[in-house]
Amino acid sequence: MIFDEFFDVVVIGAGHAGCEAASAAARLGANTALLTLNLDLIGQMSCNPAIGGIGKGHLVREIDALGGIMGRVIDRTGIQFRLLNRSRGPAVQAPRAQADRALYRVEMRRTLEATPNLNLRQGLVTNLIVNGGSVHGVELQDGRRIRATSIVIATGTFLNGRIHTGRQTYAGGRAGEPAAVEFAEALKRLGFRVGRLKTGTPPRLDGRTVDWDAFEPQPPDEQPVPFSFATDGIEQRQLNCHLAYTTERLHAAIRENLHESPLYSGQIKGVGPRYCPSIEDKVVKFPDKTRHQLFIEPEGYATNEVYLNGFSTSLPAQLQQELVSMIPGFESTQVIRPGYAIEYDFVDPRELSPSLETAKLKGLFLAGQINGTTGYEEAACQGLLAGINAALTASGRPTFRLDRRESYIGVLVDDLITNGVDEPYRMFTSRSEYRLALRHDNADDRLEPKGRDLGLVGDSDWERFNQKRARLAKVRTALKENRLRRADEGYATCRELTGQDLGESLTLADLALRPNINAALIKGFLPADLRAEMHTGDLETALADHLYAGYLDTQTAAIRRLNQHDGLHIPTAFAFKEVGSLSHEIVERLERARPQSFGQARKIPGMTPAALSNLLVHLTAAQRVARPVHS
Amino acid sequence: MVLHSDTIVALSTPPGRSGIGVIRVSGAGSLGILRLLVASDSFDPQPNLLTLRNLFDPQSGETIDEALVCYFKAPHSFTGEDLVELHCHGSPVLLREVIDIVLQAGARMAEPGEFSLRAVAHGRLKLAEAEAIRDLIHAQTDAALRQANRQLKGEISNALQPAKDELLKIIVRLESSLEFVEDDLPSVESQTISGELKRVRTLLAELAGTFRQGKLLREGLKVAFVGRPNVGKSSLFNRLLGHSRAIVTEIPGTTRDTITEAIGLDGVPVVLIDTAGLRAAADEIESIGVARTRRAAADADLLIVVIDGSEPLKEEDRSVLAEVADTKFIVTVNKIDLPTFSLTDFDSVASEVSSPIIPVSAKTEAGLESLRAAILQPFANGAHHGESLLITNARHHDLLLRAVDAIDSSADLLGKGTSEELILVGLHNALRYLDEITGETTTEEILGQIFSTFCIGK
Repeated sequence: MIFDEFFDVVVIGAGHAGCEAASAAARLGANTALLTLNLDLIGQMSCNPAIGGIGKGHLVREIDALGGIMGRVIDRTGIQFRLLNRSRGPAVQAPRAQADRALYRVEMRRTLEATPNLNLRQGLVTNLIVNGGSVHGVELQDGRRIRATSIVIATGTFLNGRIHTGRQTYAGGRAGEPAAVEFAEALKRLGFRVGRLKTGTPPRLDGRTVDWDAFEPQPPDEQPVPFSFATDGIEQRQLNCHLAYTTERLHAAIRENLHESPLYSGQIKGVGPRYCPSIEDKVVKFPDKTRHQLFIEPEGYATNEVYLNGFSTSLPAQLQQELVSMIPGFESTQVIRPGYAIEYDFVDPRELSPSLETAKLKGLFLAGQINGTTGYEEAACQGLLAGINAALTASGRPTFRLDRRESYIGVLVDDLITNGVDEPYRMFTSRSEYRLALRHDNADDRLEPKGRDLGLVGDSDWERFNQKRARLAKVRTALKENRLRRADEGYATCRELTGQDLGESLTLADLALRPNINAALIKGFLPADLRAEMHTGDLETALADHLYAGYLDTQTAAIRRLNQHDGLHIPTAFAFKEVGSLSHEIVERLERARPQSFGQARKIPGMTPAALSNLLVHLTAAQRVARPVHS
Repeated sequence: MVLHSDTIVALSTPPGRSGIGVIRVSGAGSLGILRLLVASDSFDPQPNLLTLRNLFDPQSGETIDEALVCYFKAPHSFTGEDLVELHCHGSPVLLREVIDIVLQAGARMAEPGEFSLRAVAHGRLKLAEAEAIRDLIHAQTDAALRQANRQLKGEISNALQPAKDELLKIIVRLESSLEFVEDDLPSVESQTISGELKRVRTLLAELAGTFRQGKLLREGLKVAFVGRPNVGKSSLFNRLLGHSRAIVTEIPGTTRDTITEAIGLDGVPVVLIDTAGLRAAADEIESIGVARTRRAAADADLLIVVIDGSEPLKEEDRSVLAEVADTKFIVTVNKIDLPTFSLTDFDSVASEVSSPIIPVSAKTEAGLESLRAAILQPFANGAHHGESLLITNARHHDLLLRAVDAIDSSADLLGKGTSEELILVGLHNALRYLDEITGETTTEEILGQIFSTFCIGK
């Protein structure tokens, strides 16, 4: 077979997964091509112009710690930064930022173009070239053939995408862009189990036609908290968002027109996310709610376009205009891009290994919405993992995986490959049983050494990381060694604030655990030289470690009871039916899910305690035999 | 290598009465627990050697048994871990007490087959041996499965479901307020949550409280007749039994040995025990019989003190009453059919004892219904008819108590105004413990509840 070009790694799709994948693969030394339908739309935010949030912000911090690029790009292009859940504990706080959609694209492309070994190519992939059980390359619509040792598919909603607005429906990957229909057929031909999911997006409005005085502004944080551990501060001007509310009149109009909605007419078969419902769903499923909250979000510095977050809809375009006008303040507002629903193919992620490689084809990796997830952050972290492993595999190195105990990325991959998806999968902190340990501010401590080992963390970042570690060690020591004494200035204030007896003296670490004592107050009691040396966030991180230490033990103990054997490996050829007493049904479930560890088996729906204990005995016994004992 | 850090305990001999009952404790905490039981921190047993020691209740300091104890040092034990065997006397009541103490000392009930599992994991068993005991484990787990099915269909899950639902509702509200901070959700009132937590706690604690009753129902209620000789213990025993099992004569001290028979009283398994009369023994045989009576009395769940109402109250009667004072007992005054019967003597007794006094006649069967009812008093709520659930499984009992503890810790944090993610640690732990009884609650279920309860989504 004749090829036009040769690469170690080819990444299909230049969305949030594809960009991370290509960047990581190239930086690991793989000669990499990033294929996209349109070079002008690299890193396009298809839906809301925002990155982060609870759970999602955690993912971005982890991506950054491993050496990914999303955090750095949003830090340079974010126009409203907010740290969410400030009033709650540090484990459930996370950064979120509105992005300038256009600047984000530009900055992402600039970042990729500055990466050695990374080659951008425009073209539509129509087929995979397969050789035996391995991928060999791709075919493009224009007839080119590209040879690749590893391939990452990150096609997002483009895979057999179908757009719905009212009764109008047409093939498309995003509004105004073609779908990858032939490629979807090719994947089916190769035997991948494919399902259908749905997502939606709201209308965009002309900001000049909005009566801004009618809406309550939502200001940015005064001290923006960046996503990247490498970012010292956010330089760009920060903008307000605004809050809006639907009305009962609007709800009534939606109810009257439900027959126009493809969601309710049966036209859409794909399953949509429950946590991102369309306005139709909100009105129908929560009839008692008299108003729903909406957010008016700026799209960027250089445009009047605004995004009506919370108003996702697939009602006819003309009706959308009428409905929007019913909201006080939007009376003369013009819809400039109608919202729509989109259905797309995804591949059952239970066919993936923890490195995101498919079981069917060696060298083929899947990342992002093709695995049933939703969200830029969820896509990006998979792209990073898939890109790393595509490069490692292409050069014959062992693959890289993340455990659910150490990262939300590990939780996400483990959930996907173990349970599959019924609806688009989004990250929540409650998906992790180790929530208290997986904080956004300690993502570097958890993952940066791994990123360094891989070769994705550069020298200057690594030096900064080590300096931070050294500073944190000093702060921790200072918190344990410095005491607040009865005679000290500030003692009386603290006693009053806490309403507690503080004794003769107590360490600052202990003081921090008392009610109403915040980091700013503690900081005042630290030695002046240490205060001068500390960076923003150092003290908060040290205090958070201290706050959670005791709870982590309780949590770990209860989890360990449940999953002390989770790490137990199940050999690929393990015959479940040989485990005598398992029922036919249980064996079938196990055969279908093919768990690679006892932990995965435990989470398969329908497993009984008895079946699991039998499996466990068998596995442990088999493991002893497999490993000869030298005594 | 699979590592186990916790310590497990189980009764290694079959449940029920036997000569000896062996309790096994395995794990790093075993020796510490043994030292606690023998009330000596410096107790340093030579491994693999049986030693005769008194076992004490660490709370009361009372001796509970004289047992042969043996310490096996890791890795030279069946499980490959530190292991302690306690060869106690085979009374279920006693064994239950010892296991309770071991649990309180930090061990947990072993899962079916867990000792063997640990043995395999530590390489103490070869595959062939493991295969051989696997059959044994099958038997246990199949039984466990049957029990789980039975419980899932009705009893336990029905009883636990309201508590789990309520707990899940609380978790859902707290989780939502954390995860969907940007959504327009109703604020969480800590007062409301606190009240709801109290309800869950009460439900679980009440269920845990049925454990003792449940054990009685499963293992049978042991009822022993005691009293001085010739008051009609054996006659009453025969009457309740429905046939003449015990030899009855006019000669005091006819019954020399304890006789045990099982009957069903209104669906409740009851083990009746006839005993030799308590008095200063006339000969060696009688004195052995008296000793056996005392042992049977100590093992029984309920004593029926039989007194002859046709004669004045004797010193021997009084000493019997004094002897049983600290146990659960009923006083039966026999021979109401005789003309000389009088209850006047018992006025003083009635004021001293808290138990009911039931006049009966073994001869005419008068009063027997009242006696039956008094025996069944612990089950008077109809529990044995399945109207309310009893916890019979020690592991379930242990898990319920853990869940209650976890909820208490959360309630405490809630009261202090702590951030939700910390309050949730205890609540999720409580749910995990309940899940070990009823099956796992997945994150998807929690999220599903969130999305059906609140309108979420920007």
